[in-house]
This record gives sequence, C-alpha cells and structure tokens, in this order.
Amino acid sequence: MLGQLNPVLVLGCGGCTSICLAGGQREAEQLAADLREDYGNRGGQLEVNTYTIERQCNADFFADIDRLAGDYQAIVSTACGAGVQFVAERYPRLPVLPALNTDFVGFDKDVGWYEENCRTCGDCVLGETGGICPVTRCAKSLFNGPCGGTRADGTCEVDPDIPCAWFEIHKRLREQGRLELITRVRPAREWQNQIRRTVIQEPYRERYGK
Amino acid sequence: MAAAQQATVDTGKVKDLLAAHRAEMKRYLSHCMHCTLCAESCFLFMARDKDPRYMPSYKVLNSLGVLYRRRGRVERSFLEKIKKIVWRNCVLCRRCYCPVGVDIPRMIALARAVCRSQGVYPDFDEQGHQESWL
Repeated sequence: MLGQLNPVLVLGCGGCTSICLAGGQREAEQLAADLREDYGNRGGQLEVNTYTIERQCNADFFADIDRLAGDYQAIVSTACGAGVQFVAERYPRLPVLPALNTDFVGFDKDVGWYEENCRTCGDCVLGETGGICPVTRCAKSLFNGPCGGTRADGTCEVDPDIPCAWFEIHKRLREQGRLELITRVRPAREWQNQIRRTVIQEPYRERYGK
Repeated sequence: MAAAQQATVDTGKVKDLLAAHRAEMKRYLSHCMHCTLCAESCFLFMARDKDPRYMPSYKVLNSLGVLYRRRGRVERSFLEKIKKIVWRNCVLCRRCYCPVGVDIPRMIALARAVCRSQGVYPDFDEQGHQESWL
C-alpha cells in the first residue's frame, strides 16, 4: 500500500491497541523495523520513523505530531479504525494507512487473549438477558431466542464449539431466579437504520449548539 | 525494553522535547496555586481514600515539574520512577478540573512522551500484568 511513499511515519497509539499488544510503542517500532528490512530485502530503502502518542482519538495528544507530520509522505497508524480516521481527518493531504485490521470491542480474557462481547448496537438488552449479549454472541443476533438450532448440549447449530447465547442466557436467568424475563418479547432491532452515531452529553449540548 | 532499560538517557532528546513545550508548560507549572481543587475531580484520588499521591497536581509536579527543574538532566531510574506516577497513578481520562485553566492531562502526556523517548513505557504482556498497571 505504501508504494513510492517515502519517508513514512509509523504512529503508535498508547491507548487500547497498546493494551491489546497490537499497536503500542513496542509494536510500532517492530513494524518500522520490519518495513525497513522488507524494503532492504527488495533492494530499496525506506526512511521510516516511529512516534507514539497517548491516544489517536483525541486532538489534545497531537501537538508533537502536528510538528512532525509535514516531514513525511505518509503515516501508518497502529490505532483502531477510529484512530486511523481521526489521524486522516487531521492531516487530510497526507495518506494515512491502517496498520491494523480492527476486529471488535471486547474484553481481556487473559494476557494476549481478547474476546468480542459488544457490537455497540445502541439497543442494549443486557439488563434482561443476564448480562449476556445476544447481538454479539448469538450467530443470528436474535433479540428473542433461542431459535430451533440449539443442540442438546447447549451449543449452536452453526458450530459445535460455540455455546448457544440463548442457552447461556436461560441458564444465567434461571440461576438468578429471573427466568420470566426470557419470555418477554423484545421488538426487533431496526438494522436498516445504520447511520453514523454521535453522543453529546446533556450539559454540553448548548456549548456545541446541538 | 530490556536493552532500553540498560541504556543511558539521551539527555539531548529529553531537552528537545521539554524545549518544544517550554513556554506552555512553564506557564502551567507557575500557575498552579496548590488549591487542590483538581484532586476531587480525580476518580483515582477519590477511590483511594484521598491518597495525596493521586492528586493530579502532585502527579505533574513530581514528574514533569522535576524534569523541567532539572532541565532534563535525569537518570533512567528517575524515568522508571515517574513511569509509575504518569501511567499507573493516572489513566489520562482528562476529567481533572483546574480553576485557573492548567491543562493537567497535557502535562502528564508530555511526561509520558519524555519517558517514551527513552524507551520507558508500560508493558501489557505477562510482566506488565504482574505489575498491575490497570
């Protein structure tokens, strides 16, 4: 993707991708070394430097990059998809390339092990589903389940290694003595209304004229 | 990281970083009135029985403040010490409030940048988890 773009700045992110061992300072420096070696092996030379800021999704942390950006023909960002877009918007004349392929919003299971648990759908039903997200963990993202595809051992028809989310929800609600919640019919989610979302907290609406 | 920990501090690099932000940071450091109002806006301070080590003003004065006072001439052991202050004791949530407009998060971010310039930053691998950064 870099083509003839040279020199290049690999911009590390000290936020979430750093914690996920995917795009922090150490990974940014490793990527820069790999790029140098790759160009060298092909008889070329890539001038590549690294710099890591604390977050790539907030303008307050860009002071140093504002000074440096003009020295480069491209920025390779090791942030999530949001960070890459933030950098691209800040330096619109500069190609900004993603070093990562952002997979999901999840939590740390253990060191180096992350699991998707939230699709940030904006229609949270966790309060009624025992804290288990059916949008993320049900193969059909059903708001009302289970479907007819739950196996006898409580796994999903799609893959025997995947627990059926609604089986798990049933188990959890039964343990909590709140099983009646599973019979409550939730209106179907309006998947067609997928537009870019913005949140402005109430006390700040006047400030931003929203 | 291991190699970086043994290396000496590149004082020139530290000085350059401090110089690039000197005017703004000197203003902030001199404007702090030690009123402690920032403390109550820090959830870490409140959640840790108001331990003064978690006061935002304490954190900047004992990290960036010392870096400026020593004009960047610091040992690696000092950077390792302030690493705990600017990462473990501050999550950079940007909620700290200062009545005279001192931008505390920017100061913490600069102290982190100085540490990073010398290869001092938290590990989030096995070793980092043992240190309990979060």
